[in-house]
Amino acid sequence: MEQSVLRGKAWVFTDDVDTDLIYHNKYLAETDPKKMAQFSFEYYPGKEKFAKEAKPGDFVVAGRNFGCGSSREHAVYCLKELGIPVVLAESFARIYYRNAINNGYPVLFVNGLSEAIKEGKIQDGDELEVNIGTGEIKDVTNGNLFHGDAVTDLEKDIMASGGLIEYLKAQAAKK
Amino acid sequence: MGKTMIQKIIQRASGKEAQVGDRVWCNIDLSTARDFGGPNCVLQFDEVTDKAKVWDPDKIAFTFDLQAPAHAEKVANNQKIIRDFAKRQGISKVFDVNWGIGQHVLLEHGLVKPGDVILGTDSHMNLLGGVGAFASGVGNTDIVASWINGTLWFRVPETMKITTTGSFGKGVCMRDYLTFLVGKLGADGMFFKAVEFYGETIEKSSLADRITLCSMVTEMSGKVGLIMPNGEVLDWLVKRAGKEVLDRIEAMKADADAIYSDDLHFDVSNLEPMASCPDAPDNVKTVREAAGAHIDQVHIGSCSNGRFEDIAAAFEVLKAAGFQVSDSVRTIITPTTREVMKQCAEAGFIQKFLEAGVVFTNPTCSLCTAEHYGVLPGGDVGVSTTNRNFIGKVGKGSHTYLVSPMTAMASAVKGVLTDPRDILK
Repeated sequence: MEQSVLRGKAWVFTDDVDTDLIYHNKYLAETDPKKMAQFSFEYYPGKEKFAKEAKPGDFVVAGRNFGCGSSREHAVYCLKELGIPVVLAESFARIYYRNAINNGYPVLFVNGLSEAIKEGKIQDGDELEVNIGTGEIKDVTNGNLFHGDAVTDLEKDIMASGGLIEYLKAQAAKK
Repeated sequence: MGKTMIQKIIQRASGKEAQVGDRVWCNIDLSTARDFGGPNCVLQFDEVTDKAKVWDPDKIAFTFDLQAPAHAEKVANNQKIIRDFAKRQGISKVFDVNWGIGQHVLLEHGLVKPGDVILGTDSHMNLLGGVGAFASGVGNTDIVASWINGTLWFRVPETMKITTTGSFGKGVCMRDYLTFLVGKLGADGMFFKAVEFYGETIEKSSLADRITLCSMVTEMSGKVGLIMPNGEVLDWLVKRAGKEVLDRIEAMKADADAIYSDDLHFDVSNLEPMASCPDAPDNVKTVREAAGAHIDQVHIGSCSNGRFEDIAAAFEVLKAAGFQVSDSVRTIITPTTREVMKQCAEAGFIQKFLEAGVVFTNPTCSLCTAEHYGVLPGGDVGVSTTNRNFIGKVGKGSHTYLVSPMTAMASAVKGVLTDPRDILK
Protein backbone atom coordinates (compact mmCIF):
# COMPACT_ATOMS: atom_id res chain seq x y z
CA MET A 1 0.00 0.00 0.00
CA GLU A 2 1.18 3.48 -0.91
CA GLN A 3 2.44 5.18 2.23
CA SER A 4 3.74 8.45 0.83
CA VAL A 5 1.82 11.70 1.11
CA LEU A 6 0.06 12.73 -2.10
CA ARG A 7 -0.61 16.36 -2.81
CA GLY A 8 -3.24 17.74 -5.16
CA LYS A 9 -6.27 19.92 -5.62
CA ALA A 10 -9.75 19.08 -4.29
CA TRP A 11 -12.74 18.75 -6.61
CA VAL A 12 -15.74 18.80 -4.28
CA PHE A 13 -19.07 17.09 -4.93
CA THR A 14 -22.35 16.68 -2.99
CA ASP A 15 -24.11 13.67 -1.46
CA ASP A 16 -25.69 11.00 -3.68
CA VAL A 17 -23.55 11.60 -6.76
CA ASP A 18 -25.20 9.32 -9.29
CA THR A 19 -23.21 7.36 -11.89
CA ASP A 20 -24.88 9.34 -14.70
CA LEU A 21 -23.28 12.46 -13.24
CA ILE A 22 -19.87 10.75 -13.01
CA TYR A 23 -20.02 9.05 -16.41
CA HIS A 24 -23.17 9.68 -18.42
CA ASN A 25 -25.21 6.91 -20.05
CA LYS A 26 -24.66 8.67 -23.37
CA TYR A 27 -21.20 7.09 -23.51
CA LEU A 28 -22.04 3.57 -22.30
CA ALA A 29 -21.21 1.98 -25.64
CA GLU A 30 -17.53 2.79 -25.06
CA THR A 31 -15.56 -0.37 -24.33
CA ASP A 32 -12.01 1.00 -24.07
CA PRO A 33 -11.31 2.22 -20.49
CA LYS A 34 -8.59 4.54 -21.78
CA LYS A 35 -11.14 6.52 -23.77
CA MET A 36 -13.50 6.95 -20.82
CA ALA A 37 -11.54 9.63 -18.91
CA GLN A 38 -12.59 12.47 -21.25
CA PHE A 39 -16.26 12.07 -20.25
CA SER A 40 -15.78 12.29 -16.46
CA PHE A 41 -18.42 14.48 -14.75
CA GLU A 42 -19.52 15.98 -18.08
CA TYR A 43 -23.15 16.00 -16.89
CA TYR A 44 -22.45 17.27 -13.36
CA PRO A 45 -23.74 20.89 -13.26
CA GLY A 46 -20.79 23.21 -12.66
CA LYS A 47 -18.18 20.49 -13.19
CA GLU A 48 -18.54 20.06 -16.94
CA LYS A 49 -14.89 20.93 -17.53
CA PHE A 50 -13.56 18.51 -14.91
CA ALA A 51 -12.06 16.10 -17.45
CA LYS A 52 -10.13 18.90 -19.17
CA GLU A 53 -9.04 20.80 -16.08
CA ALA A 54 -8.39 18.15 -13.44
CA LYS A 55 -4.72 17.24 -13.22
CA PRO A 56 -3.34 13.79 -12.47
CA GLY A 57 -2.97 13.75 -8.68
CA ASP A 58 -6.07 15.83 -7.97
CA PHE A 59 -8.67 14.40 -5.61
CA VAL A 60 -12.39 13.73 -5.94
CA VAL A 61 -14.07 14.66 -2.64
CA ALA A 62 -17.73 13.81 -2.00
CA GLY A 63 -20.40 13.30 0.64
CA ARG A 64 -22.52 10.24 1.27
CA ASN A 65 -23.46 7.47 -1.17
CA PHE A 66 -20.94 8.35 -3.90
CA GLY A 67 -21.59 6.45 -7.12
CA CYS A 68 -25.20 5.51 -6.51
CA GLY A 69 -27.19 4.37 -9.52
CA SER A 70 -25.94 2.24 -12.36
CA SER A 71 -23.63 -0.77 -12.38
CA ARG A 72 -21.34 0.79 -15.00
CA GLU A 73 -17.69 0.22 -14.24
CA HIS A 74 -16.99 3.12 -16.62
CA ALA A 75 -17.56 5.40 -13.59
CA VAL A 76 -14.47 3.92 -11.91
CA TYR A 77 -12.34 3.57 -15.06
CA CYS A 78 -12.83 7.21 -16.06
CA LEU A 79 -11.41 8.61 -12.79
CA LYS A 80 -8.65 6.03 -12.63
CA GLU A 81 -7.57 6.74 -16.20
CA LEU A 82 -7.63 10.47 -15.52
CA GLY A 83 -5.06 9.93 -12.78
CA ILE A 84 -7.27 10.71 -9.78
CA PRO A 85 -5.32 8.69 -7.17
CA VAL A 86 -8.14 8.15 -4.68
CA VAL A 87 -11.78 9.09 -4.12
CA LEU A 88 -12.54 10.53 -0.69
CA ALA A 89 -16.18 10.22 0.38
CA GLU A 90 -18.22 9.76 3.51
CA SER A 91 -19.63 6.58 1.98
CA PHE A 92 -19.81 4.75 -1.35
CA ALA A 93 -22.80 3.09 -2.98
CA ARG A 94 -22.39 -0.67 -3.07
CA ILE A 95 -21.79 -1.31 -6.76
CA TYR A 96 -19.36 1.61 -7.03
CA TYR A 97 -17.56 0.26 -3.98
CA ARG A 98 -17.27 -3.21 -5.53
CA ASN A 99 -16.13 -1.83 -8.86
CA ALA A 100 -13.43 0.27 -7.20
CA ILE A 101 -12.11 -2.64 -5.11
CA ASN A 102 -12.25 -5.02 -8.07
CA ASN A 103 -9.99 -2.61 -9.99
CA GLY A 104 -7.59 -2.03 -7.12
CA TYR A 105 -8.72 1.61 -7.13
CA PRO A 106 -8.35 3.23 -3.68
CA VAL A 107 -11.31 4.74 -1.87
CA LEU A 108 -11.28 6.24 1.62
CA PHE A 109 -14.34 6.45 3.88
CA VAL A 110 -14.11 9.85 5.54
CA ASN A 111 -16.37 10.26 8.56
CA GLY A 112 -18.09 13.66 8.69
CA LEU A 113 -17.12 14.64 5.15
CA SER A 114 -20.72 15.26 4.05
CA GLU A 115 -21.25 17.89 6.77
CA ALA A 116 -17.78 19.34 6.22
CA ILE A 117 -18.59 19.89 2.54
CA LYS A 118 -21.93 21.52 3.37
CA GLU A 119 -20.24 23.79 5.92
CA GLY A 120 -17.50 24.80 3.47
CA LYS A 121 -14.72 23.21 5.53
CA ILE A 122 -13.35 21.68 2.37
CA GLN A 123 -13.86 23.49 -0.91
CA ASP A 124 -13.17 23.30 -4.62
CA GLY A 125 -9.56 24.16 -5.34
CA ASP A 126 -8.27 23.57 -1.81
CA GLU A 127 -4.81 21.98 -1.69
CA LEU A 128 -4.98 18.60 0.02
CA GLU A 129 -2.37 16.26 1.43
CA VAL A 130 -3.56 12.67 1.55
CA ASN A 131 -1.80 9.64 2.95
CA ILE A 132 -3.68 6.68 1.51
CA GLY A 133 -1.85 4.30 3.83
CA THR A 134 -2.65 6.02 7.14
CA GLY A 135 -5.83 7.76 6.01
CA GLU A 136 -4.59 11.17 7.16
CA ILE A 137 -6.06 14.00 5.12
CA LYS A 138 -5.03 17.63 5.52
CA ASP A 139 -6.68 20.57 3.81
CA VAL A 140 -3.55 22.68 3.45
CA THR A 141 -5.56 25.71 2.32
CA ASN A 142 -7.44 26.06 5.61
CA GLY A 143 -5.67 23.66 7.96
CA ASN A 144 -8.66 21.35 8.53
CA LEU A 145 -7.84 17.73 9.24
CA PHE A 146 -9.84 14.65 8.28
CA HIS A 147 -9.39 10.94 8.67
CA GLY A 148 -10.25 8.34 6.09
CA ASP A 149 -10.67 4.61 6.68
CA ALA A 150 -9.34 2.26 4.05
CA VAL A 151 -11.18 -0.96 3.18
CA THR A 152 -10.82 -4.04 5.40
CA ASP A 153 -11.29 -7.82 5.28
CA LEU A 154 -11.35 -9.52 1.88
CA GLU A 155 -11.55 -6.15 0.15
CA LYS A 156 -8.15 -5.27 1.57
CA ASP A 157 -6.66 -8.48 0.16
CA ILE A 158 -8.20 -7.82 -3.25
CA MET A 159 -6.80 -4.26 -3.18
CA ALA A 160 -3.37 -5.58 -2.23
CA SER A 161 -3.42 -7.90 -5.26
CA GLY A 162 -4.29 -4.97 -7.51
CA GLY A 163 -7.84 -6.07 -8.26
CA LEU A 164 -10.21 -9.03 -8.35
CA ILE A 165 -8.85 -10.77 -11.44
CA GLU A 166 -5.27 -10.43 -10.14
CA TYR A 167 -6.45 -11.74 -6.76
CA LEU A 168 -8.06 -14.80 -8.37
CA LYS A 169 -4.91 -15.49 -10.39
CA ALA A 170 -2.77 -15.27 -7.26
CA GLN A 171 -5.12 -17.62 -5.40
CA ALA A 172 -5.05 -20.09 -8.31
CA ALA A 173 -1.23 -20.00 -8.37
CA LYS A 174 -1.12 -20.90 -4.67
CA LYS A 175 -3.09 -24.11 -5.21
CA MET B 1 -29.69 -17.91 16.25
CA GLY B 2 -32.33 -17.62 13.50
CA LYS B 3 -31.46 -16.53 9.99
CA THR B 4 -32.99 -14.10 7.54
CA MET B 5 -33.72 -14.97 3.90
CA ILE B 6 -30.52 -13.47 2.56
CA GLN B 7 -28.48 -15.39 5.14
CA LYS B 8 -30.13 -18.65 4.06
CA ILE B 9 -29.64 -17.87 0.38
CA ILE B 10 -25.96 -17.06 0.89
CA GLN B 11 -25.53 -20.14 3.10
CA ARG B 12 -26.92 -22.37 0.35
CA ALA B 13 -24.73 -20.72 -2.27
CA SER B 14 -21.52 -20.69 -0.24
CA GLY B 15 -21.77 -23.74 2.00
CA LYS B 16 -20.72 -21.44 4.86
CA GLU B 17 -22.47 -20.23 7.99
CA ALA B 18 -23.47 -16.79 6.82
CA GLN B 19 -23.18 -14.33 9.68
CA VAL B 20 -23.78 -10.65 9.06
CA GLY B 21 -20.54 -8.94 7.99
CA ASP B 22 -18.86 -12.15 6.77
CA ARG B 23 -17.28 -12.10 3.33
CA VAL B 24 -18.15 -15.30 1.50
CA TRP B 25 -17.77 -16.77 -1.97
CA CYS B 26 -21.11 -17.80 -3.46
CA ASN B 27 -21.68 -20.27 -6.26
CA ILE B 28 -23.49 -18.44 -9.03
CA ASP B 29 -26.67 -19.95 -10.49
CA LEU B 30 -26.84 -17.58 -13.43
CA SER B 31 -24.36 -14.93 -14.60
CA THR B 32 -25.83 -12.56 -17.16
CA ALA B 33 -24.79 -9.50 -19.14
CA ARG B 34 -26.62 -7.07 -21.35
CA ASP B 35 -25.88 -5.26 -24.58
CA PHE B 36 -24.52 -2.59 -22.23
CA GLY B 37 -21.68 -3.91 -20.07
CA GLY B 38 -21.76 -7.23 -21.93
CA PRO B 39 -19.25 -6.25 -24.63
CA ASN B 40 -16.95 -4.93 -21.89
CA CYS B 41 -17.24 -8.29 -20.11
CA VAL B 42 -16.46 -10.26 -23.27
CA LEU B 43 -13.43 -8.15 -24.19
CA GLN B 44 -12.09 -8.22 -20.63
CA PHE B 45 -12.68 -11.98 -20.28
CA ASP B 46 -10.83 -12.74 -23.53
CA GLU B 47 -7.97 -10.45 -22.49
CA VAL B 48 -7.40 -11.75 -18.96
CA THR B 49 -7.95 -15.45 -19.76
CA ASP B 50 -6.38 -15.45 -23.24
CA LYS B 51 -9.70 -16.63 -24.67
CA ALA B 52 -10.23 -19.52 -22.30
CA LYS B 53 -13.50 -21.45 -22.00
CA VAL B 54 -16.08 -20.06 -19.56
CA TRP B 55 -16.82 -22.06 -16.41
CA ASP B 56 -20.26 -23.24 -17.52
CA PRO B 57 -21.95 -22.04 -20.73
CA ASP B 58 -25.34 -23.24 -19.46
CA LYS B 59 -25.20 -20.82 -16.53
CA ILE B 60 -24.51 -17.75 -18.62
CA ALA B 61 -27.13 -15.67 -20.41
CA PHE B 62 -27.09 -12.53 -22.54
CA THR B 63 -29.95 -10.08 -22.88
CA PHE B 64 -30.22 -7.20 -25.34
CA ASP B 65 -32.35 -4.47 -23.90
CA LEU B 66 -30.67 -1.11 -23.33
CA GLN B 67 -30.39 -0.11 -26.96
CA ALA B 68 -32.46 -2.68 -28.79
CA PRO B 69 -32.57 -2.76 -31.74
CA ALA B 70 -29.20 -1.06 -32.21
CA HIS B 71 -29.48 2.60 -33.17
CA ALA B 72 -25.80 3.24 -33.94
CA GLU B 73 -22.89 1.40 -35.53
CA LYS B 74 -20.95 1.28 -32.27
CA VAL B 75 -23.89 -0.38 -30.51
CA ALA B 76 -24.44 -2.78 -33.41
CA ASN B 77 -20.78 -3.79 -33.23
CA ASN B 78 -21.03 -4.24 -29.45
CA GLN B 79 -24.01 -6.52 -29.89
CA LYS B 80 -22.08 -8.52 -32.49
CA ILE B 81 -19.21 -8.96 -30.00
CA ILE B 82 -21.68 -10.70 -27.68
CA ARG B 83 -23.28 -12.87 -30.36
CA ASP B 84 -19.87 -14.04 -31.63
CA PHE B 85 -18.66 -14.83 -28.10
CA ALA B 86 -21.81 -16.78 -27.27
CA LYS B 87 -21.43 -18.85 -30.43
CA ARG B 88 -17.74 -19.53 -29.73
CA GLN B 89 -18.42 -20.47 -26.09
CA GLY B 90 -21.55 -22.57 -26.77
CA ILE B 91 -23.78 -20.22 -24.77
CA SER B 92 -27.32 -20.81 -25.98
CA LYS B 93 -29.23 -18.42 -23.73
CA VAL B 94 -28.99 -15.34 -25.93
CA PHE B 95 -32.10 -13.17 -25.84
CA ASP B 96 -31.60 -10.85 -28.77
CA VAL B 97 -33.17 -7.47 -29.58
CA ASN B 98 -36.63 -8.95 -30.06
CA TRP B 99 -37.16 -10.08 -26.44
CA GLY B 100 -37.24 -7.10 -24.09
CA ILE B 101 -35.79 -6.16 -20.72
CA GLY B 102 -33.39 -8.80 -19.44
CA GLN B 103 -34.51 -9.59 -15.90
CA HIS B 104 -38.13 -9.87 -17.03
CA VAL B 105 -37.21 -12.12 -19.96
CA LEU B 106 -35.19 -14.42 -17.67
CA LEU B 107 -38.14 -14.59 -15.28
CA GLU B 108 -40.64 -15.35 -18.04
CA HIS B 109 -38.36 -18.14 -19.30
CA GLY B 110 -38.32 -19.90 -15.94
CA LEU B 111 -34.63 -19.19 -15.36
CA VAL B 112 -35.19 -17.66 -11.92
CA LYS B 113 -36.05 -19.52 -8.72
CA PRO B 114 -36.31 -18.38 -5.09
CA GLY B 115 -32.88 -18.70 -3.49
CA ASP B 116 -30.94 -18.42 -6.73
CA VAL B 117 -27.86 -16.19 -6.81
CA ILE B 118 -27.94 -14.27 -10.09
CA LEU B 119 -25.62 -11.61 -11.49
CA GLY B 120 -26.14 -9.05 -14.21
CA THR B 121 -24.72 -5.80 -15.57
CA ASP B 122 -27.84 -3.91 -14.53
CA SER B 123 -28.26 -2.13 -11.22
CA HIS B 124 -31.90 -3.25 -11.18
CA MET B 125 -31.11 -6.98 -11.43
CA ASN B 126 -32.33 -7.08 -7.84
CA LEU B 127 -35.94 -6.72 -8.97
CA LEU B 128 -35.78 -10.54 -9.20
CA GLY B 129 -35.96 -10.40 -5.42
CA GLY B 130 -39.67 -10.03 -6.16
CA VAL B 131 -39.70 -13.84 -6.50
CA GLY B 132 -37.19 -14.47 -3.70
CA ALA B 133 -33.98 -14.62 -5.75
CA PHE B 134 -30.81 -12.82 -4.70
CA ALA B 135 -29.97 -11.04 -7.91
CA SER B 136 -27.25 -8.45 -7.88
CA GLY B 137 -26.23 -5.74 -10.28
CA VAL B 138 -22.45 -5.71 -10.73
CA GLY B 139 -19.77 -4.29 -12.98
CA ASN B 140 -17.97 -6.15 -15.74
CA THR B 141 -15.06 -7.30 -13.57
CA ASP B 142 -17.43 -9.18 -11.24
CA ILE B 143 -19.09 -10.84 -14.24
CA VAL B 144 -15.71 -11.82 -15.71
CA ALA B 145 -14.61 -13.29 -12.37
CA SER B 146 -17.79 -15.36 -12.22
CA TRP B 147 -17.23 -16.64 -15.76
CA ILE B 148 -13.76 -17.87 -14.71
CA ASN B 149 -14.68 -19.65 -11.48
CA GLY B 150 -18.44 -19.67 -11.17
CA THR B 151 -18.19 -17.88 -7.84
CA LEU B 152 -18.24 -14.32 -6.53
CA TRP B 153 -17.61 -12.61 -3.21
CA PHE B 154 -20.33 -10.98 -1.14
CA ARG B 155 -20.60 -9.35 2.24
CA VAL B 156 -23.50 -10.87 4.20
CA PRO B 157 -25.78 -7.87 4.73
CA GLU B 158 -27.98 -6.79 7.60
CA THR B 159 -31.67 -7.27 6.86
CA MET B 160 -34.39 -4.67 7.20
CA LYS B 161 -37.96 -5.91 7.70
CA ILE B 162 -40.83 -3.85 6.28
CA THR B 163 -44.43 -4.86 6.98
CA THR B 164 -47.14 -3.23 4.91
CA THR B 165 -50.86 -3.24 5.65
CA GLY B 166 -53.98 -1.73 4.07
CA SER B 167 -55.36 -1.48 0.55
CA PHE B 168 -54.58 1.22 -2.01
CA GLY B 169 -57.31 3.76 -2.67
CA LYS B 170 -58.52 4.64 -6.16
CA GLY B 171 -55.75 6.07 -8.33
CA VAL B 172 -53.04 4.90 -5.93
CA CYS B 173 -50.76 1.88 -6.44
CA MET B 174 -47.54 0.15 -5.40
CA ARG B 175 -45.42 2.68 -7.28
CA ASP B 176 -46.83 5.47 -5.09
CA TYR B 177 -46.00 3.45 -1.99
CA LEU B 178 -42.51 2.91 -3.25
CA THR B 179 -42.05 6.61 -4.01
CA PHE B 180 -43.30 7.35 -0.51
CA LEU B 181 -40.67 4.95 0.88
CA VAL B 182 -37.85 6.58 -1.11
CA GLY B 183 -38.91 9.95 0.28
CA LYS B 184 -39.23 8.62 3.80
CA LEU B 185 -36.00 6.59 3.96
CA GLY B 186 -33.84 8.65 1.56
CA ALA B 187 -31.37 7.83 -1.20
CA ASP B 188 -29.23 5.77 1.16
CA GLY B 189 -31.99 4.65 3.52
CA MET B 190 -31.36 0.94 2.86
CA PHE B 191 -27.59 1.32 2.62
CA PHE B 192 -26.01 -2.08 1.73
CA LYS B 193 -28.94 -3.88 3.38
CA ALA B 194 -31.24 -6.67 2.27
CA VAL B 195 -34.93 -5.97 2.80
CA GLU B 196 -37.72 -8.46 3.46
CA PHE B 197 -41.22 -7.28 2.58
CA TYR B 198 -44.19 -8.73 4.49
CA GLY B 199 -47.81 -7.92 5.22
CA GLU B 200 -51.25 -8.25 3.62
CA THR B 201 -50.59 -5.52 1.02
CA ILE B 202 -47.62 -7.49 -0.30
CA GLU B 203 -49.24 -10.92 -0.01
CA LYS B 204 -52.13 -9.95 -2.26
CA SER B 205 -50.04 -7.92 -4.72
CA SER B 206 -49.34 -8.91 -8.33
CA LEU B 207 -45.96 -9.99 -9.68
CA ALA B 208 -45.76 -6.63 -11.47
CA ASP B 209 -46.21 -4.77 -8.18
CA ARG B 210 -43.61 -6.91 -6.42
CA ILE B 211 -41.16 -6.17 -9.21
CA THR B 212 -41.85 -2.43 -8.95
CA LEU B 213 -41.22 -2.51 -5.22
CA CYS B 214 -38.03 -4.57 -5.39
CA SER B 215 -36.59 -2.70 -8.37
CA MET B 216 -36.55 0.57 -6.47
CA VAL B 217 -34.58 -0.84 -3.52
CA THR B 218 -31.62 0.26 -5.65
CA GLU B 219 -32.76 3.89 -5.34
CA MET B 220 -32.36 3.57 -1.57
CA SER B 221 -28.93 1.96 -2.03
CA GLY B 222 -30.20 -1.40 -0.78
CA LYS B 223 -28.69 -4.70 -1.87
CA VAL B 224 -31.88 -6.63 -2.60
CA GLY B 225 -35.54 -6.60 -1.64
CA LEU B 226 -36.98 -10.08 -1.08
CA ILE B 227 -40.55 -11.34 -1.25
CA MET B 228 -41.34 -15.04 -0.93
CA PRO B 229 -43.77 -16.02 -3.72
CA ASN B 230 -47.32 -16.95 -2.63
CA GLY B 231 -50.76 -17.30 -4.20
CA GLU B 232 -51.07 -16.49 -7.88
CA VAL B 233 -47.45 -15.35 -8.13
CA LEU B 234 -46.35 -18.75 -6.84
CA ASP B 235 -48.59 -20.59 -9.31
CA TRP B 236 -47.18 -18.48 -12.15
CA LEU B 237 -43.62 -19.14 -11.07
CA VAL B 238 -44.06 -22.92 -10.64
CA LYS B 239 -45.53 -23.06 -14.14
CA ARG B 240 -42.44 -21.32 -15.51
CA ALA B 241 -39.59 -22.52 -13.32
CA GLY B 242 -40.85 -25.92 -12.15
CA LYS B 243 -41.74 -27.63 -8.90
CA GLU B 244 -38.33 -27.07 -7.36
CA VAL B 245 -39.64 -23.60 -6.56
CA LEU B 246 -41.75 -25.13 -3.78
CA ASP B 247 -38.77 -26.80 -2.08
CA ARG B 248 -36.78 -23.59 -2.35
CA ILE B 249 -39.49 -21.58 -0.63
CA GLU B 250 -39.46 -23.98 2.33
CA ALA B 251 -35.68 -23.89 2.54
CA MET B 252 -35.19 -20.14 2.09
CA LYS B 253 -37.89 -18.59 4.25
CA ALA B 254 -36.67 -16.59 7.22
CA ASP B 255 -36.64 -18.15 10.68
CA ALA B 256 -39.14 -16.86 13.22
CA ASP B 257 -36.26 -15.73 15.43
CA ALA B 258 -34.21 -14.14 12.65
CA ILE B 259 -32.43 -10.92 13.60
CA TYR B 260 -33.38 -7.72 11.76
CA SER B 261 -31.56 -4.40 11.81
CA ASP B 262 -34.80 -2.48 11.40
CA ASP B 263 -38.48 -3.40 11.76
CA LEU B 264 -40.73 -0.88 10.00
CA HIS B 265 -44.51 -0.83 9.56
CA PHE B 266 -46.51 1.23 7.11
CA ASP B 267 -50.22 1.34 6.24
CA VAL B 268 -51.09 2.38 2.70
CA SER B 269 -54.84 2.99 3.20
CA ASN B 270 -54.54 6.79 3.19
CA LEU B 271 -51.63 7.02 0.76
CA GLU B 272 -51.93 9.53 -2.09
CA PRO B 273 -50.39 9.49 -5.58
CA MET B 274 -46.73 10.46 -5.12
CA ALA B 275 -44.03 11.95 -7.34
CA SER B 276 -40.24 12.04 -7.23
CA CYS B 277 -39.70 15.63 -8.33
CA PRO B 278 -36.68 16.96 -10.21
CA ASP B 279 -33.81 16.23 -9.80
CA ALA B 280 -33.57 13.27 -7.38
CA PRO B 281 -35.63 10.16 -6.60
CA ASP B 282 -35.85 11.16 -2.94
CA ASN B 283 -37.21 14.65 -3.68
CA VAL B 284 -40.74 13.39 -3.00
CA LYS B 285 -44.06 15.28 -2.90
CA THR B 286 -47.68 14.26 -3.35
CA VAL B 287 -48.87 14.68 -6.93
CA ARG B 288 -51.47 17.13 -5.54
CA GLU B 289 -48.68 19.37 -4.24
CA ALA B 290 -46.83 19.31 -7.57
CA ALA B 291 -49.92 19.24 -9.83
CA GLY B 292 -50.10 21.67 -12.73
CA ALA B 293 -46.36 21.56 -13.37
CA HIS B 294 -45.42 22.12 -17.01
CA ILE B 295 -44.43 18.92 -18.87
CA ASP B 296 -43.28 18.13 -22.39
CA GLN B 297 -43.22 14.35 -22.53
CA VAL B 298 -44.72 11.31 -20.79
CA HIS B 299 -43.12 7.89 -20.78
CA ILE B 300 -44.60 4.68 -19.40
CA GLY B 301 -42.26 1.69 -19.30
CA SER B 302 -38.93 0.45 -17.87
CA CYS B 303 -37.94 -2.53 -15.74
CA SER B 304 -39.78 -0.89 -12.83
CA ASN B 305 -43.20 -0.20 -14.34
CA GLY B 306 -43.74 -1.55 -17.85
CA ARG B 307 -45.53 -4.86 -17.26
CA PHE B 308 -49.04 -5.64 -18.49
CA GLU B 309 -50.69 -4.61 -15.20
CA ASP B 310 -48.88 -1.25 -15.34
CA ILE B 311 -49.97 -0.58 -18.91
CA ALA B 312 -53.51 -1.79 -18.10
CA ALA B 313 -53.69 0.72 -15.22
CA ALA B 314 -52.65 3.50 -17.60
CA PHE B 315 -55.22 2.25 -20.11
CA GLU B 316 -58.02 2.61 -17.53
CA VAL B 317 -57.08 6.24 -16.99
CA LEU B 318 -57.01 6.89 -20.75
CA LYS B 319 -60.39 5.17 -21.10
CA ALA B 320 -61.94 7.30 -18.34
CA ALA B 321 -60.67 10.38 -20.18
CA GLY B 322 -62.24 9.38 -23.50
CA PHE B 323 -59.15 7.97 -25.24
CA GLN B 324 -57.31 11.15 -26.13
CA VAL B 325 -53.91 12.38 -24.94
CA SER B 326 -52.98 16.06 -25.00
CA ASP B 327 -51.41 17.44 -28.18
CA SER B 328 -48.98 19.45 -26.06
CA VAL B 329 -47.06 16.40 -24.81
CA ARG B 330 -45.33 13.49 -26.50
CA THR B 331 -46.62 10.26 -24.97
CA ILE B 332 -44.56 7.08 -25.29
CA ILE B 333 -45.42 3.62 -23.97
CA THR B 334 -42.80 0.88 -23.91
CA PRO B 335 -43.81 -2.63 -22.81
CA THR B 336 -41.23 -4.51 -20.76
CA THR B 337 -41.12 -7.66 -22.87
CA ARG B 338 -42.47 -9.19 -26.04
CA GLU B 339 -44.83 -11.30 -23.90
CA VAL B 340 -46.22 -8.10 -22.35
CA MET B 341 -46.56 -6.50 -25.78
CA LYS B 342 -48.51 -9.53 -26.99
CA GLN B 343 -50.81 -9.29 -23.95
CA CYS B 344 -51.39 -5.62 -24.77
CA ALA B 345 -52.23 -6.53 -28.36
CA GLU B 346 -54.61 -9.30 -27.31
CA ALA B 347 -56.38 -7.00 -24.85
CA GLY B 348 -56.97 -4.47 -27.65
CA PHE B 349 -54.91 -1.82 -25.90
CA ILE B 350 -52.48 -1.06 -28.69
CA GLN B 351 -55.18 -0.07 -31.18
CA LYS B 352 -56.70 2.33 -28.64
CA PHE B 353 -53.35 3.78 -27.63
CA LEU B 354 -52.46 4.46 -31.26
CA GLU B 355 -55.82 6.09 -31.92
CA ALA B 356 -55.30 8.28 -28.84
CA GLY B 357 -52.00 9.58 -30.22
CA VAL B 358 -49.58 7.47 -28.18
CA VAL B 359 -46.23 6.23 -29.54
CA PHE B 360 -46.30 2.52 -28.66
CA THR B 361 -42.81 1.03 -29.01
CA ASN B 362 -41.08 -2.32 -29.10
CA PRO B 363 -40.01 -3.80 -25.73
CA THR B 364 -36.74 -2.21 -24.57
CA CYS B 365 -35.30 -0.04 -21.79
CA SER B 366 -35.72 3.04 -24.01
CA LEU B 367 -35.86 6.11 -21.78
CA CYS B 368 -33.37 4.99 -19.17
CA THR B 369 -30.66 6.52 -21.33
CA ALA B 370 -30.12 9.49 -23.57
CA GLU B 371 -28.94 7.10 -26.28
CA HIS B 372 -32.26 5.75 -27.43
CA TYR B 373 -35.53 7.24 -28.60
CA GLY B 374 -37.42 9.80 -26.56
CA VAL B 375 -34.37 11.87 -25.55
CA LEU B 376 -35.31 15.20 -23.98
CA PRO B 377 -33.77 18.49 -25.13
CA GLY B 378 -32.29 20.85 -22.56
CA GLY B 379 -34.94 22.54 -20.42
CA ASP B 380 -37.68 20.03 -21.27
CA VAL B 381 -39.56 18.28 -18.48
CA GLY B 382 -40.53 14.65 -18.66
CA VAL B 383 -42.93 12.53 -16.64
CA SER B 384 -41.79 8.94 -16.44
CA THR B 385 -42.29 5.60 -14.71
CA THR B 386 -38.56 4.85 -14.89
CA ASN B 387 -36.46 4.76 -11.73
CA ARG B 388 -34.01 7.67 -11.70
CA ASN B 389 -34.38 11.37 -12.38
CA PHE B 390 -31.02 12.98 -11.76
CA ILE B 391 -30.57 16.08 -13.87
CA GLY B 392 -29.84 15.37 -17.51
CA LYS B 393 -30.31 11.61 -17.29
CA VAL B 394 -32.25 11.46 -20.55
CA GLY B 395 -30.79 14.60 -22.14
CA LYS B 396 -28.45 17.32 -20.87
CA GLY B 397 -30.31 19.98 -18.89
CA SER B 398 -33.63 18.07 -18.88
CA HIS B 399 -35.72 17.28 -15.80
CA THR B 400 -38.00 14.39 -14.92
CA TYR B 401 -40.85 13.61 -12.53
CA LEU B 402 -41.02 9.92 -11.57
CA VAL B 403 -44.59 8.73 -11.02
CA SER B 404 -46.95 5.76 -11.31
CA PRO B 405 -48.38 4.63 -14.67
CA MET B 406 -51.75 6.10 -13.64
CA THR B 407 -50.31 9.50 -12.82
CA ALA B 408 -48.24 9.40 -16.01
CA MET B 409 -51.32 8.77 -18.16
CA ALA B 410 -53.42 11.36 -16.30
CA SER B 411 -50.63 13.85 -17.03
CA ALA B 412 -50.56 12.80 -20.70
CA VAL B 413 -54.29 13.43 -20.93
CA LYS B 414 -54.24 16.87 -19.29
CA GLY B 415 -50.86 18.03 -20.61
CA VAL B 416 -49.65 19.03 -17.13
CA LEU B 417 -48.72 16.97 -14.07
CA THR B 418 -52.07 15.59 -12.93
CA ASP B 419 -53.42 13.51 -10.04
CA PRO B 420 -55.16 10.49 -11.63
CA ARG B 421 -58.04 10.82 -9.16
CA ASP B 422 -59.10 13.92 -11.10
CA ILE B 423 -59.91 11.61 -14.02
CA LEU B 424 -60.85 8.34 -12.29
CA LYS B 425 -63.95 9.73 -10.65
